Amino acid sequence: MSLRTSPRAPDRAPRGRLRPLMVTLACVALLAGACGTNSGGGAAASGSTGPASQAPAISPAASLAGTLTVWAMGNEGVQLKTLAAGFMKANPGVTVNVTPVDWGQAVAKLQTAIAGNQTPDVSQMGTDMMGQFAATGALDPVPANFEPGAFFQGAWNTNVINGTVYGVPWYVETRLLYYRTDIAEKAGITAPPATWEELTAMAKAMQSKGGADWGISLGTKNWQEYLPFLWSAGGDVMDASGAFQLNSPQAVEALTYYQSFFNDKLSPASVPEGFDITPAFVAGTHPMFFSGPWHLGLIAKAGGAAIEGKWAIAPMPKKVTGTSFVGGSNVVVYKNSKNKDAAWAFVQYLSDPATQIAWYGDVTDLPAVQAAWSDPALTSDPNVAMFGAQLKDTKAQPAMATWSELATSLNSTLEKLTTAGMSPQDAANEMQSEAQKIGTGS
Amino acid sequence: MTTAPTTAPVAVAPGGADEAPRGRSVPWAYILLTAGLVLMIGPFLWMVLGSVKPAADFLRNPPTFLPSAATTDNYGRLFDQLDFPKFFFNSSVIALAVTVGTLVFCPMLGYALAKLHWHGKGVIMGLVLATLMVPAGITLIPNFILMSNLGLVNTYPGLILPFLAGPFGVFLMRQFMLGVPDELLEAARMDGANEFKVFWSVVMPIATPVLATLAILTFLGNWNSFLYPLVMAQEPAMYTLPVALATFATGQYQADHGMLMAGSVMLVVPVLIVFVLFQRWITEGIATTGLKG
Amino acid sequence: MTVPALAQREVQGAAASAASPGSGWRWRDDLIGWAFAAPFVILFLLFLAFPIAASFALSFTSFGLRDLQNPVGATFVGIDNYVTLFSDPKFFTSLFNTVYFVVLGVPLTLVFGLLIANALNRGITRFKTAYRVGYYIPVITSIVAIAVVWRFLLNPDVGLINMALSSLGIKGPAWLADPALAMPSIIAMAVWRNLGFAMIVFLAGLQAIPAVLYEAASIDGAGRWEAFRSVTLPMLRPTILFMTVITTIGYLQLFEEPFVMTGGGPLDKTLSVTMYMYQQGFTFFHQGYASAVAYVLFVIVAIVAFLQFKFLRSDV
Repeated sequence: MSLRTSPRAPDRAPRGRLRPLMVTLACVALLAGACGTNSGGGAAASGSTGPASQAPAISPAASLAGTLTVWAMGNEGVQLKTLAAGFMKANPGVTVNVTPVDWGQAVAKLQTAIAGNQTPDVSQMGTDMMGQFAATGALDPVPANFEPGAFFQGAWNTNVINGTVYGVPWYVETRLLYYRTDIAEKAGITAPPATWEELTAMAKAMQSKGGADWGISLGTKNWQEYLPFLWSAGGDVMDASGAFQLNSPQAVEALTYYQSFFNDKLSPASVPEGFDITPAFVAGTHPMFFSGPWHLGLIAKAGGAAIEGKWAIAPMPKKVTGTSFVGGSNVVVYKNSKNKDAAWAFVQYLSDPATQIAWYGDVTDLPAVQAAWSDPALTSDPNVAMFGAQLKDTKAQPAMATWSELATSLNSTLEKLTTAGMSPQDAANEMQSEAQKIGTGS
Repeated sequence: MTTAPTTAPVAVAPGGADEAPRGRSVPWAYILLTAGLVLMIGPFLWMVLGSVKPAADFLRNPPTFLPSAATTDNYGRLFDQLDFPKFFFNSSVIALAVTVGTLVFCPMLGYALAKLHWHGKGVIMGLVLATLMVPAGITLIPNFILMSNLGLVNTYPGLILPFLAGPFGVFLMRQFMLGVPDELLEAARMDGANEFKVFWSVVMPIATPVLATLAILTFLGNWNSFLYPLVMAQEPAMYTLPVALATFATGQYQADHGMLMAGSVMLVVPVLIVFVLFQRWITEGIATTGLKG
Repeated sequence: MTVPALAQREVQGAAASAASPGSGWRWRDDLIGWAFAAPFVILFLLFLAFPIAASFALSFTSFGLRDLQNPVGATFVGIDNYVTLFSDPKFFTSLFNTVYFVVLGVPLTLVFGLLIANALNRGITRFKTAYRVGYYIPVITSIVAIAVVWRFLLNPDVGLINMALSSLGIKGPAWLADPALAMPSIIAMAVWRNLGFAMIVFLAGLQAIPAVLYEAASIDGAGRWEAFRSVTLPMLRPTILFMTVITTIGYLQLFEEPFVMTGGGPLDKTLSVTMYMYQQGFTFFHQGYASAVAYVLFVIVAIVAFLQFKFLRSDV
């Protein structure tokens, strides 16, 4: 897979890395294209309750003209030209130039562009990058033409920073459980785990009776894998007033549960650098893991005919809730754009249900617009439909300027919990105090 | 800088002479040195072998030392999927430009410090020497801010200019120039040569060996340079080889051992060629100056 | 030679020459002198001297991404960054790791360098150039390439080292993923890479020792070890001092090796001060804070170099 054509690292890299400016590489490369590609937002997660403000609606211009520069990342950057052609056909006066940007470079390149006053008109933006970039003041608030209810709520909320909407959801992704049905059957289990207890029991059975080396493969330091358990236990990053509550009893419960997989040697605590889950899953040594829709294709490709019919996906197991993590990308317009009318018209075009369905056909990005999900293209594949069902129960990290810092800190504490035996209570306290120290940046 | 300044002036035996017998040889010394040499060269051998291993060899458990079959696939991926020729070009342009600039600016100031009398000489000398050991990290952030305000982030000048101001080159050239006899310069001046002509036609030709050392050390130092280009080259199109390799090795390609080994070979081989061709200049230059450049 | 001492001597020398009687051509001398100096001096002031000063100023601000377009508008925060820094556990972790690296890495590099240089100088008569070149090769190759290759060597599943261990019936550990072994692995790599440099410098020092001293020692009945202790070590003392300082300064700036091999992990066990600066400055864009980290490192480097000169030079 080429660096420039895909945002998603096939391997779920275990370690956080510090490639800075570029950064969130920690995310991108590591967490399965996670940060860059994912994140989403939950109303509860953002803690905002009041109506978010949008700029006045832009009246449809009779005829748009000029040139638009659009930056898009990874595979989207390569494929977007096709969609842009459709927009140019409808608006003959407008020329759209698409610049592909590598995910690994996305944060750095946008930062440099903002610092040098050389921003594009429009760009794609990972949902977890929103807080950071909204804080630079470089983004244009979204006009009222965009109806929040048209999108998945979790995805929309990633755009709301301190009550102002800065971007529009483009595509989404969420995490489900991937598991080997053949190994499960060997271990005497026929139904996917619906609860935490069942997940633990299944991991144990697969390891002891199913012949797998491990029961499951959980990230040793990946906040995106931890947050669903926090939500599932009924906790959250912040309470309704926007105060951190990372050391709530629910958080301790989630951390205790997460750690149990490592304490019981069901999930490997030591993961070699460059570990790729896909071949390990195909080989059957690691029979369960949580990941996004991209693994549907990766597993089929890596396993070929031999793996067919031997695996399945399942929704997040429940404690109090079965909430999963939502990620994906938004589209933003920059304040410095000299052609904002055309820029917002282009964004409008991208979020049109028909365009969203066409886009799913082109790159299999899951639509952020709910109406698009009634299309047969999405309802016919049961695996995709399962992602659609999970999307209705998702949250994202809070949209705050300092998220990348807090994320790094959470990963660091999770590593202590999973590999160094830190107690769940201590881990929760450390997360809370670090979060309070870092603040929200607002 | 001389390595043993106070009591033992370092006089390096010329490269050719050290093959001459000198005392008795000791068998254990050969054994020790050869064993050590295997450890020194082993990783490079492992790198080259890894670069021609087919993908299947990296999944084999236990792994094998030799490839099951030699393949150029790993190199193919470097060129097909990544813009490796571009990184190679960037590294070459930057290292060569810095080398050429260094070979002009450093001798000029070195000459002025060693042989000319002018107001401010002492201050400049002190300033330049004082920066000789400043950690590179200190200038990184201000230079980034400066370059982004000059619009030079992601440009060749942004990656070249700061390295033209290397105090080491000035120091090295000045030390050499001090040893050039004044009579030689006076004779040229008597013949009516102006100062620039004296510098260019008299001093520079004598300085060829030192210039060669400076050139090689500067080239190698910049070819291998990492932290600064990592910050200043934000776009893949401006990556140098080390930045590209490190980015891919810590990012998406961290599991693609074959391609990473092929990339390492690309980064190491030009340096090995330069080194083997010019090793005399390098090892003697380092022994006499005590710095890596 | 100490840089400060050298600089001082040079400055005195220059002052002395400036005081020498000038001629009527003085202004012309100045013109020529500055003409030769100007190209370098301009670049030097702009890209080295000014940034060093600016870095100090930055460390008293909360400089961040939004100040990039208007650097002089950054908020002055006094010594806040330094106060935060001295209560920042992560900074102390990085400092501890860096000191660990230096304390083990410097002596090992020097001992192995000296051992090889001595064997080359006195132990063998043939193939000297070949050995010298072989040992020096790692020094001139890119640290990034070396770190990538070593990461592969140390890979627990497909690496050469564990492959060799398993042929001896030993199951090798996950070197870089083990908190106790990650830094020692990086130290091993640094020693491997840099001993060639120490070797070359020591070799030059050894070759400068007059042969008569060894002859005299052997007349006195001294064996090789005695000769090494009574002749080589004392004569090599300035070179050892110089190498200690140079290597320490270099090792205190540890960056590429953990950056490529471990990303600072596991559990921050290989996070170095320079990596922490880079993370703060270019991942989180706290450039004011990162400048404070850089300056503290600078001061540590200066103090360590000063102390080494002071104590290593006077004792024995």
